This record gives sequence, structure tokens and C-alpha cells, in this order.
Amino acid sequence: MSIPDVPIQDVPILDVRGLIAGYEPGLSIVKGASIYADEKEIVVILGPNGAGKSSFIKAIAGLVPVTGGQVLLDGRDITYGAAHLRVRQGLAFVPQTENIFPLMTVEENLRVAGGVLARNEVQSRIDETYTMFPDLARQRKLAAGSLSGGQRQMLAVGRALIVHPRVLMLDEPSAGLSPKFVEMVFARLNEIRRAGLTIVLVEQNARAALAIGDRAYVLVEGREAHEGRAATLWDDPVVAELYLGQRRHA
Amino acid sequence: MNLQFIVDGLISGSLIGLGAIGITLTYSILRFSNFAQGDFMAWGAYGTLSVTAAIGALVGTTAPIGALSFGWPLIAAAIIGMVLTACLALLLDWLLFARLRDRGQSIIVVMASFGASMALRSLSEFIFTSSPTYFSRGIQMAIPIGLGIRITPDQTVMLATTLILVTAMHLFMQRSQTGREMRAYSQNPALARVVGIDTARVVRATWIIGAALACAAGVMVGILVQIRPLMGLDLLLPMFAAAILGGIGSVPGAVLGGLIIGLSEAAAVQLIGAEWRAAIAFAILMAVLLVRPMGLFGRAER
Repeated sequence: MSIPDVPIQDVPILDVRGLIAGYEPGLSIVKGASIYADEKEIVVILGPNGAGKSSFIKAIAGLVPVTGGQVLLDGRDITYGAAHLRVRQGLAFVPQTENIFPLMTVEENLRVAGGVLARNEVQSRIDETYTMFPDLARQRKLAAGSLSGGQRQMLAVGRALIVHPRVLMLDEPSAGLSPKFVEMVFARLNEIRRAGLTIVLVEQNARAALAIGDRAYVLVEGREAHEGRAATLWDDPVVAELYLGQRRHA
Repeated sequence: MNLQFIVDGLISGSLIGLGAIGITLTYSILRFSNFAQGDFMAWGAYGTLSVTAAIGALVGTTAPIGALSFGWPLIAAAIIGMVLTACLALLLDWLLFARLRDRGQSIIVVMASFGASMALRSLSEFIFTSSPTYFSRGIQMAIPIGLGIRITPDQTVMLATTLILVTAMHLFMQRSQTGREMRAYSQNPALARVVGIDTARVVRATWIIGAALACAAGVMVGILVQIRPLMGLDLLLPMFAAAILGGIGSVPGAVLGGLIIGLSEAAAVQLIGAEWRAAIAFAILMAVLLVRPMGLFGRAER
């Protein structure tokens, strides 16, 4: 037998191999970064400013042109697929800023993401979201632009979950939030993981992210420079070195 | 004072408004001023005229409906004309606009639409000549409806048709999934992709709706006035004024803007003189924009 006997659960749900990406040809920001995420894992991507964390996660989502490497979702190559198709294939993304449609109501924001679902399914998914985020239910008729920062973040997460993705990627969900909201957002992410999702998270707020994370990567200059258990990464001297002391101020 | 200007203004205003819906949608979704919108009106009218002639050749002469100047062939031809105009817009997008849009310079796309407008106009003059033509040469009696106002049966039906089209359009934008996706895309194209919206589909829908409504407006101008290659160009500036006045991106705004422009033009013709027609419309536009820069229904960027 020349075919290796690999059990199916050994294929990570998200497998990114040597990804090269950038907005302009010849100017790569992501320079061969590799990460993987197993089912029900929370994977945290840390790194100093300008390491390319945000571009990396956007490239996985299909928003930054990729010039090399591979993105495999559940073994399927989606490297060069259109961004909107990745959502349908189960890879959802929550951008850091401008992640809601401010002139549409809260409910319309949720509904617009359900285009691929059957009509009766959309309503039950919206109700699900309201159960998870009761704040949104109370404000369903309001323009999303009138929500507070924390509520906007919940709306963006709720909207990403409408299609029942398998992997949820978030770009700095805690940015600009008060400590109370940061705690709540991370608690919710933990619940979402327990419900069966895989979460990939880019964060500046390393302490909060590592508290709920399983594994973490440190991205430096467009490449993953270190990988480890989230619980021990904080005290790893290599990580302190990579951050050049920035970590303690994060 | 003769109140007839109200009917005249409502009619021309609703036709301007119908055309302005395409302009406001193209501007807010595809992010450029489409100067070819007026030529979609003219091509829609000529296309419909050709289909009417073809139907006439197939089934012979048909009687007009009730007191109207036209029969069912024109209605059928107008629907086919709307489809043809939509195809014309999609063809232009594929040939021209899509390629330029990808390069990201909006002014280049605007100039391209200017060029497309001139090419379409010259082509229509070449094919259909520049002398005016008509759907029907019959003369309609205007019926007095009180207060010295008279309205023809054609005018009544055109006003009602506009009302139906605009209401349908508004409901489509507010209630349908495609309408929601169009609004989402106009607010944030990148986020639209993130939430799984097929943006190519949104672009197609925008062209189809804008062109089909332009055709409808063109056919109505043809029924009420005449068909000329320049008919769209003459309405282009009022249509832009209506779209801006109503607030870019707003369907009801475009129609309300059209009605305000149409009514004030008609009033100006009667009160001051026909030579002030355009000036009055633009004076109102300026005045409104000084008070509300985002237009009547527009919303400030957040």
C-alpha cells in the first residue's frame, strides 16, 4: 500500500500552508505563514505591530490577494476561491473595524447574511442569534450604526454565525472595547467553541486571548515564529524575545 | 394662476424620477456617475418601437385600449424593451465598465460612460435618424378634472404606472434579499463579500434595474411627447439633479427629487418664462444642498 493510512480526524479543519499574500504584486506582507486549527480549537495569533497578523487572517478570508501557499478547509483547497464562497463553505470572518452595515437595522444586518439559506431557516437562525445575544433582540429595529461598540461586535459575531460556519475567524474582537465588554466577548467566544466551532483569533490583547485559547502562534514579519500551548506561551522566554518587550505593555 | 402646471410638472417629474432611480443606484453601488443613463432611455424607447412594429407586422392592426392612444402590443413591447435595455447595459458593463472599475479610478469610469453615451447617441441617430418619431399619431382629448386642470387618459395611466413601478422598486429594495444585498454593498463592498454576498450578482442587478426603469421612462416620454435620439440627453441633467436632491442611494429620494424638479420647472415656465426652466431647477437644487448637503433622504457617512 503506497497510500498512507491517515485517520480522517488527523486532517485539521483549517490548514494554512506557507501563505504568501499582499495588496500589491511583489510587496508581500504575509511571507510564507503556516498555521492549522483542529476542530473545536481556539487558536490565537499574536505578534508585534506590523507583523502582518491582520493581512494574514484577511488573506485566509479571501480579502487580500494570495500569491503563494495553500488554504485548506476540511482538506479542500480554497486558496484562490472568491471571498463570498468561503463563507458558504464554512469559513466565516469578522473584520476588526467597519464590521456592520450602519444604515441597516440590526435585523437586516443578520438577514442579509442569510442569502444562501432557505427562507424559513433564516428566521430560526436569527432567533438563535437573539437567544445568544438578548441585547440585539431588544434593538432589532434600530439602525446598527446606533449600537455601542460592544453591541456592534456582538452583531458582527452573530451575523457571522448565521450560516453556521465550521470555522470562525476574528480580527481583534476586543479592540476599542471596555474591559467589561472584552470579558463578555471572550466568554461568548468560549461558549461558541463549546457549541462545536473552531475559532481563529488575531489579538493585541494577548492576556485575554490566551486565557481562552488552546494554542497560539506568534507572527513576526509575516511568518509564524513560534507556536505553543496558550497556557504556557505567556511565560515562554522566546516569546518575550520576539516581542522585544512589547508584550508586557499589551 | 393656471394650475395646469401641476399636472405637467407631475408628469415630467415622475419621468425624471424613474430615470433618476438608475442614476442613484449606479452612483451608490457601482460608485460612478453614469452619463449613459439618458441613452438607455432613448434606446429603450427605440427598442420598444421596433418590437411594436414587429408585433404589428405579425398580428396586424390592433385597437387601442379604451381611451388610450395605444393597445396591448405596446405594453408587451415595452416589457421586451426593458429586457433588451437591461441586456444593453449588461453588455456595456462587460465590454467597458467592469474592466475599468477593477482598476479603481472612478473618474475613468465616468469618462467612459460619457464616451459610451456619445457612441450610443450617434449610433441611434445613424440607425433611427435624428428626426422625431411617435408610438401613435392620434390626438388625445384632455379631460377637465376641475380647478382648470386637464389631463389626458395617457397621462393618467403614465402617472399610475410610475406610482406602481416606484412602489414596487421601493419594496424590492427594502424587503427582498437582493435589495438588502444591494444596500449592504453600497454601504461597504468589502464587508458585503465577507458576509457571503455575491458581488457580481449585485452589480448585475443594479444594471438590470437601472436600465429597465430607464426604458420604462423612455417609453413613457415616447408616448406622451415623442421619440428622439436626444430625448435622454435632454433629461440627463434633471435626472442627476433629482438623484442628488433626493439623496444618493435613496429610491424614494430620487422620485421625490424628480417631482420637485418637474413641478418647479413647470411652475417656472408658467410664472417666469420658459427660458428659466433649467435655472429654477438648479436654484432649488443648490438651495436644498446648502441646507442639507446629503440630500433630502440621504444620510451622512458614519
